[in-house]
Amino acid sequence: MNVRPALLIASLVAATSLTPAMAADLSIGLKSEPTSMDPQFHNLATNAQVLENIFEGLTKQDAVQRLQPGLASKWEASDDTTWRFTLRDGVKFQNGSPLTARDVIYTLCRVPLVQNSPSPFTIYTGAISDVTAEGDDVVVVKTASANPLLPTDMASLPIVSADALGAEKTVTYKPDGKCKGMGDVPQSPAFNSPDIAVGTGPYKLDSFVRGSKLVLTKFDGYWGEAPAWDTVTMRPISSAGPRVAALLSGDVDMIESPPIQDIPRIEGAGFKIIDALSNRIIYLHLYQQDEKAPSITGTNGKNPLLDKRVREAISLSINRKAIVDRIMGGYAKAAGELLPPPMFGTNGREPDGYDPEKAKQLLAEAGYPDGFGITLGTPNDRYINDEKVAQAIAQMLTRIGIKTKVDAVTASQFFSRRNKLEFPIYLAGWGASTGEMSSPLKSLVATYDKETGMGPTNAGRYSNPAMDKILTEAMSTIDDTKREDLLKKAEQMVLDDYGIIPLHYEQTVWAMKKGLSYEPRVDQYTIAAEVKPASE
Amino acid sequence: MSDEAAMGLSEKAEPPVKQPAEAKRAPALESPAMRIAREFCEDRLAVLGLVLFLAIAAIAILAPWITPQNPYDLAQLDIMDGGLPPGSESFATGGTYWLGTDEQGRDMLSAIAYGLRISLLVATVSLAFAIAIGVAAGTTAAYLGGKVDTLIMRVVDLQLSFPSILIALILLALFGRGIDKVIIALIIVQWAYYARTVRSSAIVETRKDYIDAARCLALSHRRIMFRHLLPNCVPPLIVVGTVQIAQAIALEATLSFLGVGVPITEPSLGLLIANGYDYLLSGRYWVSIFPGIALVATIIAINLVGDRLRDVLNPRLQT
Repeated sequence: MNVRPALLIASLVAATSLTPAMAADLSIGLKSEPTSMDPQFHNLATNAQVLENIFEGLTKQDAVQRLQPGLASKWEASDDTTWRFTLRDGVKFQNGSPLTARDVIYTLCRVPLVQNSPSPFTIYTGAISDVTAEGDDVVVVKTASANPLLPTDMASLPIVSADALGAEKTVTYKPDGKCKGMGDVPQSPAFNSPDIAVGTGPYKLDSFVRGSKLVLTKFDGYWGEAPAWDTVTMRPISSAGPRVAALLSGDVDMIESPPIQDIPRIEGAGFKIIDALSNRIIYLHLYQQDEKAPSITGTNGKNPLLDKRVREAISLSINRKAIVDRIMGGYAKAAGELLPPPMFGTNGREPDGYDPEKAKQLLAEAGYPDGFGITLGTPNDRYINDEKVAQAIAQMLTRIGIKTKVDAVTASQFFSRRNKLEFPIYLAGWGASTGEMSSPLKSLVATYDKETGMGPTNAGRYSNPAMDKILTEAMSTIDDTKREDLLKKAEQMVLDDYGIIPLHYEQTVWAMKKGLSYEPRVDQYTIAAEVKPASE
Repeated sequence: MSDEAAMGLSEKAEPPVKQPAEAKRAPALESPAMRIAREFCEDRLAVLGLVLFLAIAAIAILAPWITPQNPYDLAQLDIMDGGLPPGSESFATGGTYWLGTDEQGRDMLSAIAYGLRISLLVATVSLAFAIAIGVAAGTTAAYLGGKVDTLIMRVVDLQLSFPSILIALILLALFGRGIDKVIIALIIVQWAYYARTVRSSAIVETRKDYIDAARCLALSHRRIMFRHLLPNCVPPLIVVGTVQIAQAIALEATLSFLGVGVPITEPSLGLLIANGYDYLLSGRYWVSIFPGIALVATIIAINLVGDRLRDVLNPRLQT
């Protein structure tokens, strides 16, 4: 009887000490797959989290979105509109060419040249007026006006290889896609080839088969800490059940967003659960461009959403607490803002209370005592329980008289239809990539303007010139305290106007084998390169 | 002779279902319909299938009057009642959810009745249109022959060479979701089967003397095709029809399960199963299992009836 525990311990010790050597491959079950291997095609977390393994920016954000040096070892503002980035020594691309200032210039030049981008990166480059090199190692970026967030923005702009993409010897920056020396710029589909998708990251692209799997292999010449895995396989398993089953059966080592309802079972089977509140706000956006709203019935051709009282009624009709408890299983937090307080620029505004009576009254005041019909668009594989939340909201809206249909489609279809303004009201989410308030304001509610790159994801076309002005001012204020005050003011204006309706902040959950560790990220990214074998 | 008999029958424009072989065997007083009914009832399993099917059809048709909740009226749902196991009481209304609720607070019993309603509606409507189109195309092809026949049949061949689920998926990807769109997709997928069936039996019939006789009487093509030719092609059509109706139900369920069929606020059986699928691992079995049982029962019932009809209507199987 004494022998057995000893044996057991011995074998356990043997197993754990062997783990790192054996577990050289990692496979991850993802909820949705990237829409492209081009890091400048679609400004979407799904893409970023995968592509961060291959490509890196000048700066990067750690798990709690603090800014860290990336390909630039240091940076400084020489005046209000000039930033100097010093490139890290000894960084090589996966095709062997060294990282130089030319690659950075090429990268910034290519952004406006990417065609058909559903959510363009011009939002980060619109304000850049000039980029020059001082030798091979220093890049000087000039902005038209002061931009305090430029180093933060750089974290979202992964550097691509000028050589691999066929640039000429010298690349000269001119704003608005008029750069010189760009050669023949490859478009997004070309990045499915490992010869084009060349970055400086710890893993290189091996193959990408849409709908099936994405395989990355270790890049031996990586400048930083050696990658922990020889190959990383990422499989899109959009249905939650099969994703959990894949983990339980050992098909994959780790999955993102296991369904909340399955968590007890996963833990019971001996897996590890990691969770954290995220910066992702789930919101409703309302069509406010003009009277010609799509799919609204019973209003004699008018668009009721232009009326602030109707928008307020919609917000008051939603029982956020019930959604959090019932649909989200408690893994979410009711939201009253566009970022969870106390992040930079938040007001601490409470979530709107549930008041269907007042909502009905507001509808009647606005001239819709019998309500109207509307279609709520939602993706069904993008956010946690997205179509279930949408259905619950449809229930609540119907109860105050707004007869709501739910149009639930897969994320890729949803985003392209949303960008064509096909939904009068839609549910979506926004994770603030910068970790502060200007990100949601600039993307979701600033007046849509293709030229300046403002409001790129404002597919409700909300427009508030007074707010735009304050936001623009905030975005050129280098002083942190002043900037935060302006951002608070701008956010308050939008929320008082019910220009957008916050629902809840997602809580992100990961499930993985006991032998792995992962630091939960506020930005919800599942970055394979940051999955490590658990240390004892 | 038998040819004269056939001609005589068609002249009277009665549906001449009677085949020469049967005519000899069946007692003189029994009409074809009675014979079919009698032979059908000889198989107990088929009768069971028929009874089951009629019961399911009754539930489906009467759903709005017999279910405690209208699962498609969002105002009647309450997420506070979501995810309750079978037999639970409602917090909102105090009623009992005999088969439990899904996460939206939808009473599964009501949802299944309404789901059956959609399944049967989609299947019968698409069946009717597909038969109409298929029969018209098939008889025309067989009767006119030549280039018309080649053209129609090549289209049919082309379509039958693709799996029907694939065609339906492509169509729905183009059309978007909706019951009407599912029906259209099913019609497009199914008409070819009927066209093929009708053509093959019509081609045999066209060569018979009664058609020549009808032609000699200078009857219009349309009259010959639909009054004389078509009634003789009905038995195989009934058999294919019963098989296809079960197929149509399964196909609709598949499409909805895959998320391209009916809208999510108006779930059919397939969509109910898909919704419950998310909860299978967490032990909320009822959301998926009960609609699944209903779907399987419907398809088995129809197949039992169809199998027996095939035996009864097939002259070759009769000895």
